[in-house]
Amino acid sequence: MKAKIIGAVILIVVIVCAAGYYFYGKSTDVTVINGYLGGEKIGIIEDKQIADILSKKYHIAFDYSRAGSLDMVTADQTGRNYLFPSSRTALEYYKEQHGDPVSEEIIFNTPIVLYSHKAVAEAFMTDGTVTLSEGVYYADMIKLTDKITSGVTWAEAGLPELYGNVSVDTTDPVRSNSGNMFAALLANVLCGGKTADEASVKEIMPQLKAIFSELGYMETSSSDLFNQFIRTGIGAKPIIAGYENQLLEYAAENPEQYAKLKDDIIIIYPTPTIWSTHIYIALDETGKQGAAALCDEKIQQLAWEKHGFRTSGCDISSEGGEGKVNGIAPQLNAVINMPDYKVMKVIMEELED
Amino acid sequence: MKKVICIILSAVLSAGIFSSCSSASENSFGGGAFEKETIRILSGSENKELSDILAECSKKTGIGIEMTYKGSVDIMNELKNGAEDYDAVWPASSIWLSLGDDKHIIKHDKSISSSPVVFGIKKSVAENLGFTSGKVSVNDILAAINSGNLSFCMTSATQSNSGASAYIGFLYALTGKTSALNSADLDSPLLRENISSLFSGIERSSGSSDWLKDMFLAGNYDAMVNYESLMIAANKELISQGREPLYAVYPYDGLTVADSPLAYADHGNKDKETAFLAVQEYLLSDNAQEKIRRTGRRTGFTEDYSQYGDIFNADWGIDTEKILSPITMPSEETLMKALNLYQTAFRKPSLNIYCLDFSGSMSGEGNRQLVEAMEQILIPENAEKNLLQASENEVNIVVTFDGSVRNIYTVEGSENLPLLYGDIAAEEPGGGTDMYAAALEGVEYAVTGYDLNNYCPAVIIMSDGASKTGSREDFIGGYKACGYDIPVFSIMFGDADDSQLNELAKLTNARVFDGRSDLIAAFRSVKGYN
Repeated sequence: MKAKIIGAVILIVVIVCAAGYYFYGKSTDVTVINGYLGGEKIGIIEDKQIADILSKKYHIAFDYSRAGSLDMVTADQTGRNYLFPSSRTALEYYKEQHGDPVSEEIIFNTPIVLYSHKAVAEAFMTDGTVTLSEGVYYADMIKLTDKITSGVTWAEAGLPELYGNVSVDTTDPVRSNSGNMFAALLANVLCGGKTADEASVKEIMPQLKAIFSELGYMETSSSDLFNQFIRTGIGAKPIIAGYENQLLEYAAENPEQYAKLKDDIIIIYPTPTIWSTHIYIALDETGKQGAAALCDEKIQQLAWEKHGFRTSGCDISSEGGEGKVNGIAPQLNAVINMPDYKVMKVIMEELED
Repeated sequence: MKKVICIILSAVLSAGIFSSCSSASENSFGGGAFEKETIRILSGSENKELSDILAECSKKTGIGIEMTYKGSVDIMNELKNGAEDYDAVWPASSIWLSLGDDKHIIKHDKSISSSPVVFGIKKSVAENLGFTSGKVSVNDILAAINSGNLSFCMTSATQSNSGASAYIGFLYALTGKTSALNSADLDSPLLRENISSLFSGIERSSGSSDWLKDMFLAGNYDAMVNYESLMIAANKELISQGREPLYAVYPYDGLTVADSPLAYADHGNKDKETAFLAVQEYLLSDNAQEKIRRTGRRTGFTEDYSQYGDIFNADWGIDTEKILSPITMPSEETLMKALNLYQTAFRKPSLNIYCLDFSGSMSGEGNRQLVEAMEQILIPENAEKNLLQASENEVNIVVTFDGSVRNIYTVEGSENLPLLYGDIAAEEPGGGTDMYAAALEGVEYAVTGYDLNNYCPAVIIMSDGASKTGSREDFIGGYKACGYDIPVFSIMFGDADDSQLNELAKLTNARVFDGRSDLIAAFRSVKGYN
C-alpha cells in the first residue's frame, strides 16, 4: 500500500513537472529576429513593455545592429531578417540594389524638425527667421537657408558668444536618413519651395554641396547626433536637424534630466517640413513576422506615448510626449514631398564626392 | 606590458544575505563565491583618473572590469579590425567610434563626461603673455612660441585624441577657416610653414594624455596641451608639491571638447551586454556622476559647478559659465590626410638614437625579435600601416653594441631606411654587453652632429637588459653634461631583466616597454613620445 502511494506521488510529480515544462517551454519559445535598425528606433526595440507584447503575443524578439538607413542597404545582410530604415528612399535604394523585398510596411511616421536653444530662437526671431505661434516655434526655411548660404556668422546673427558661421548640423546625408531628408528639404527650398526634380536639382546642386562641405565631419547616426546635442551646450551644436520623436522619447525616458533642460532646449518646425516614414523591410519569412507584430494596436499606442512616433491611429492629445514636452505642433500643414528616388540618387552621388 | 589590468573585482555574496528568507540548511547553497561577468574595456588613458570610481562600480554591480589603455587613434584602428578582445570601447571622443565602426559592432554608446582640450600654461608665464585676461586665439599662442616665450608638451596627434584635437584646432586657426577645413586647405605652403613653426615649440611629446600629465609633473616645462580635467589633476599635484599651478587657456578659434563615450562592442554575447549596461548605468547614476565631476570632468551643460570651486578653480582660469564653442571637425578624408601629414611632414622631426644589443645573450630568439622589430619601423610599407612613418627631416642613428660599440649608422630622411635595415640584419650577435657605453656614445654623437633644439630626440635601447655596469657612472655624468632633455626608452627582448632599464627610464623621464608581447604597441608608444 505504502509503495503504491509512493508510486502515485512520484507519478503526479512527474506529470506536474512535464506539464510545467511543456507550458513553460511554449511560452518561452520565442523566435529572435535579427536585422539593421536606424538608431532613432532603438528606444522602441529596447522598450520592455513592447518586448513583452512581442514575446507573449507574437512569440518574437528583436535583435539588432545599429546602422544608418542607407548604410544598411549595402551592409552585409547575411543572417539578417529585416531592415528598419526611416524613409522611402532607403526602400527604393534597396529595390535598386536587391530587387523587391519579401514584404514592406510603413510602421511609424515622424516629421523632420530642428532642435535648438532658446537663445538661438530669440536671436532668429528679430528678423523673422523663426516665429512663435501658439507656443510652437516655426523656422522660415527660405530665410534660414539664405543665412547659411551667405556665410552669416553667429556673431552677425546676434550670438557673439558662438564661434563660426550659422549652420545646421545634420547626420551624413549619404549614410543616414535624417541628414538625407534634411538635404532633400534644403534641395526643395533651393528649388524655390517646389519638390526638386531631375532638371531643377542639377541647378541647385553646387549650392547644396557647398552647404554640406562646410559641415565637415558628420555623425552617421541620428541618435548619436541627438545625444551630443542633449549633452553639450549651445556652443557645440547650436542647431541640429533630427526627428520630432527624439525629444519626445528623451523626455518620456529621462523626465528628471529633461526637467533640467526644458527651459533651454526647443523644437523648431521647419516651414515647410518633410515626413520621415519608418518602413519595415522583411528580408525573409522570419523577418515578416516582425511587421505584423509592430502594427499591433497597443504597440502603436506605446510608440507614440513613450517614443514620440506619430502612428496612423495616434491621438496627439493623448498622454503622449506632448504632455511632457512643450511646443509640439498638433498638426503639420506645411509639408513638402521628398523628391523621388532618382533625384535623391543624384543628390547622394554628388554629396558623396 | 601595454595591457594594464586595472580592476578585476567580483562580488562575493556572503551566505548571510540569504539568511533572512531561507532556512539555515539552505544557507550553505548561497555560501560560495558568486561570480558574475567580467567586461573588458579598451579605453583612453585619461580614464585612469577614474580608477577609484571604476573600483566602486565593480563592487556595486558585482561585475569585473578589465581596463586596457590605448590612444584614441589606436582604439579606432582596433575597432576597424573588429575589436575581438574587448567587450567595450571608451575613447576620448565619439569621432573615433564613428570612424572606426566599419563593422557595425558599436551599441549603447553614451557620453560619460566631457572635458575641453586646453593649453595649461604656468600661471606666471600666462600672465606675462597677457593670456589671463580677455580672449586668446591660437595665433596669439603661435606668436608667443615664435618669439621664444613659450614652449609646450602635447601628445602625438596620430595616437591620442587630445593631440589630434589640438592639432586640428591649430590647423583651423592657421587657415582662418570658420567652416570645415577641407583637403585643399592642407596643401597651402604657408600653412605648412606655420604649423611646422608651431610644432618647433614642442619640448616633449607623449603617446597618451595621462602619461603626458605624469611626464609634465616629473619634469619642468612651461605648458602642456591636455584635457581640462588632467590639467586640474596636475594642478592638485603641483600645489601639493609647492609648485606653481597651470592656468587654462581656451583658444576661441581652435577649441575642441572630448565627450568620452563608453560603448558596447557587440560580439553576440548577451550576458556581456547585460553586464555592460549595468556598468554604464552605474557610471551615469547621480552618485557616480557627482564623483566624476570631482575628478575635474564636466557632466552636462546645465550642471551647477559653483559648489566645485576648489576643482573648477577660477584662479586656474577655469570658467564653467563660459559657453564652449568648439570648431567643426573636418570630414574623415580630410582628417586622415591631416593625420598623415602630421606624421610625415608637420611634426617636429624625431632624432632617434637606437642602441641595439648584439651581445651573445641575445643570440637566437632575442636577436630574431630585435631584427623583426627594426623591420617594422625601417621598411616603409610596414611603418605606414601603423602610422609609424619617418618624417621628411627625421634622423635615425643606429648604434650596435656588445661589450663595446660596434658600428654607428646614420640615415637622414626616410629614403635610405631599408638599406639601414639590411646592415642591421647582417650583424651577428656575440660577446659581452655594455649598453651604457653605447647609449653615451649615441648621445654624444647626436649632440656633436645636430642642433637638438630642432628635433624631438630620444634614445631607444633594444636589449635584454643584462648589462655590465662599469660605464654606468660615465653615462650618468655624460648624460647630465650634454644639457639636453633626452628620454632613454627601452624595448625589452629575449630573456629580459628590466631593472637596469627602469633605472635609466626613471633618470631620464622615460619608460620601458615589452617588445615581446606586443611589438607594434611598444613601438607606437615609444614613437608617440618623440
